[in-house]
Amino acid sequence: MPSLQAIPKSPRWMIRETQEVIAIARKFNEEVVKPYVLTLDRKMHEDPDYLPWDFVKKANEWGLYTMWIPKLFGGRGYNMASMSVFVEEIGSVCLSMANLIGVHYLGVATLVASWNTRLIDRICRDVVKGEKTGEPCLITLAITEPGAGTDVEEMDLADKGNITCKAEKVPGGYKLNGTKIFISNGHVSVWHMTIAYENLDKPSDATIMVAVKTGMDGFSFGRMEHKMGQKGCPASELIFKDCFVPDDLVAVDTRQIDKLNRSKKDTMQQIIDYVVAATRAGVAGFATGAARGAFDAAIQFAAGTKVNGKLLINHEWAQCMLAEMYKNVSLARISYVETNYANNLFGMYKLLQLKPVYYFLKIVPHFLLDKIAPGFLNKPFMTWVFRKLQLDFQTDEDFHCTSGWGSLAKFSATDLGIKNCHMALEMMGQAGLRHDRYAEKFFRDAKLLQIYEGTNQLNRLNVFKCFMANDYPQAVVFEE
Amino acid sequence: MSKGSHRELKLLGNAAADFSRKELAPSREENDKYPYGAFFDTVINKAYTIDFFHIILPEDAGGMGQGMAALSVVLEHICQEDSSLGGIIFTCSAAHEIMKAAGSMDVLSQITDVAENVNDFLIAFPVFNNPSEIPHLACARKDGDRYILTGSIEYMVLGNIAAKALVPAKISDDNTFSFFLVDLKDKGISISDPILSLGLHACPATDISFQDVNGILIGEENKGKDYFNAMAEKFHVAAAAMSQGIMKGAFKEALAYTKGRFQGGRQIVNWSEMKMILANMAVKIKVSEMILASATVAVDENGNGWRECAKAAAIHIQELACDLTTDGIQVLGGVGYMKDFGQEKRFRDAKHIQAILGLAPLKKIDYLENFIM
Repeated sequence: MPSLQAIPKSPRWMIRETQEVIAIARKFNEEVVKPYVLTLDRKMHEDPDYLPWDFVKKANEWGLYTMWIPKLFGGRGYNMASMSVFVEEIGSVCLSMANLIGVHYLGVATLVASWNTRLIDRICRDVVKGEKTGEPCLITLAITEPGAGTDVEEMDLADKGNITCKAEKVPGGYKLNGTKIFISNGHVSVWHMTIAYENLDKPSDATIMVAVKTGMDGFSFGRMEHKMGQKGCPASELIFKDCFVPDDLVAVDTRQIDKLNRSKKDTMQQIIDYVVAATRAGVAGFATGAARGAFDAAIQFAAGTKVNGKLLINHEWAQCMLAEMYKNVSLARISYVETNYANNLFGMYKLLQLKPVYYFLKIVPHFLLDKIAPGFLNKPFMTWVFRKLQLDFQTDEDFHCTSGWGSLAKFSATDLGIKNCHMALEMMGQAGLRHDRYAEKFFRDAKLLQIYEGTNQLNRLNVFKCFMANDYPQAVVFEE
Repeated sequence: MSKGSHRELKLLGNAAADFSRKELAPSREENDKYPYGAFFDTVINKAYTIDFFHIILPEDAGGMGQGMAALSVVLEHICQEDSSLGGIIFTCSAAHEIMKAAGSMDVLSQITDVAENVNDFLIAFPVFNNPSEIPHLACARKDGDRYILTGSIEYMVLGNIAAKALVPAKISDDNTFSFFLVDLKDKGISISDPILSLGLHACPATDISFQDVNGILIGEENKGKDYFNAMAEKFHVAAAAMSQGIMKGAFKEALAYTKGRFQGGRQIVNWSEMKMILANMAVKIKVSEMILASATVAVDENGNGWRECAKAAAIHIQELACDLTTDGIQVLGGVGYMKDFGQEKRFRDAKHIQAILGLAPLKKIDYLENFIM
């Protein structure tokens, strides 16, 4: 259990900080999310192409897009594990709005996993500036393609997949051509961390990550998907037509990877795993929120509705169903907490959670860091140091642990989340079908959690790969 | 078979399948936009013209006089493509059946004989609530020969498109209720906007309130529970048929998709985990087919234990449909969640239909109490 190893090593202030995060989330829920949850969903039913700028601006005003950007890069520097707790709180009221906040950090995590300190600093400071000016600056991850979902997340599958987003090396940068789909928050974001391939015949050895900014020549938005749920969070098509990306916006490419210990393919899988080990804990947080929201709707209904002459909450079968739902919430939460401990020990959060680093960053004033840090972070040496520490020094066992736990939490929590939604609707009957009783919205919203960030089937295979396959040399994954 | 020969059922099934393919499938996404898009009047009118609303209505009331097997076969084929029309047929037929059980055929004939269009013919009914379980009831008082209704009814299905409604209401203070037929154009009636709901978007429901509205008593006073149960005992198989149709539609779309989509250079149907999901779906459908076929025959032939068969079939098949439609989306991945395909609608509709005729867990307890204990 990662927690047994991690708890003694964790800074004690993290607990207080996480409590602070919960308090902020609850206040935000009361003042912003709850009054708007049904309205936003209705708006999206009415006009599926509506863009939720009003909410994004409100979240920006509250500082929610810089909360988990490390203080080193100008952000507010809350411990990244506390983001799962935050999205659980928001998700317990509205998964769309939780996504409009949380998915930005999928972009941040992708950027950070490149360990390109110069680019991380540049883009993160754009986000901070956007907060100050009132012009939200969100970041996305653009990886899924029309013909390739699972194939782009697993390097073992990439070479046989139908991958088409081409990055051609040209003087001074790369030229991008292709399309990305299902990009959460796409239309309301400024930066897009885009995965592309120099060689489409062998993408696993030719993957690069670049930052594309909204408004760049050759980059445009396509359609917005019309989804069953999570309607308030746009899923966008991004189109690249001879889009020139200068070298200074290349987060990581094969030339840089060549300087590292692992092969190109293994390094890119390591980078992807760094991201998803962290963000799948976030998805588990969303799912815990959905499980909780469905439970809340059911217990409120049971407490106020007479069935066969007595309150539903006093029927033994209903009490057992509610207990089962409560258990599902608790287990879902435990799954992401354990994953976060794994990430604290071996993953993306490791450096920042080391006690001396954590307390130093907590204590040193913002203005001082802002003055000193960019000068250092812009030096190629710093990128080299971070990549050494985070990529070369991370063992295979380390990333199997974080990646395995990320997948385990993702499919466990999302299955439990949808289970609770089913149970709530069964308990509420006709009342549960109505939009104004919330349960049906959780049911629609929660289903997406079993699909994005790797389908639950892919995540099960990853758990096998990370936790079992290594003990059996005869075992092969993704090659049946 | 006592009601409808195999040949008749096959012909009816073919007609419904043809109608679904031509009239429902092409506009499924568009029709599902209701209440934020247009209502599919044209389709409903066509369904009315070819007598899909007349299947169980007795011949002397202008109907086809068929049994539950015929209704089930039509609902199954329709729900493969779009359950909203299935919900409308189910609701109106359930109201007819209650009036039939109450011996109010004269009142029913007055509606069906003079109906000039589908709206005149339809009867709104709160089909997602069992009034004996959760007493969503209006109040009725006797005023000479008349009954006057006040109060409100939640989630009255077809409340905004039907001319008449069948309303459960209390006359006395005990646990009984009675059914009344009301004219929805009565000035004492106020009808809400269509309720935004989980599924069956084009089978609209509304909240209705009554202020001194005339009601015609259906059957006898305080016998509502008997009439509702008489209808429900039979209609469980019709509800199961809707769920079965959804399952078949979901499987068909899933299988077709897996043959055209590639992962790791292979058709995804050739990955063994995908085969496992599809196999589970196929097994559920086969089991459902066998159970439903037995149950509908038992119902139409008044076979031994037919009530038990019908209820058990509905409980089980509705659960299967909820499980299967989740997999139906999962097989398609991201696109399964989008409106471009039918899977997301089937996922919503299957869960919606599980609530028909009352709370799903109570149906189980009721099954045990009534048939086993």
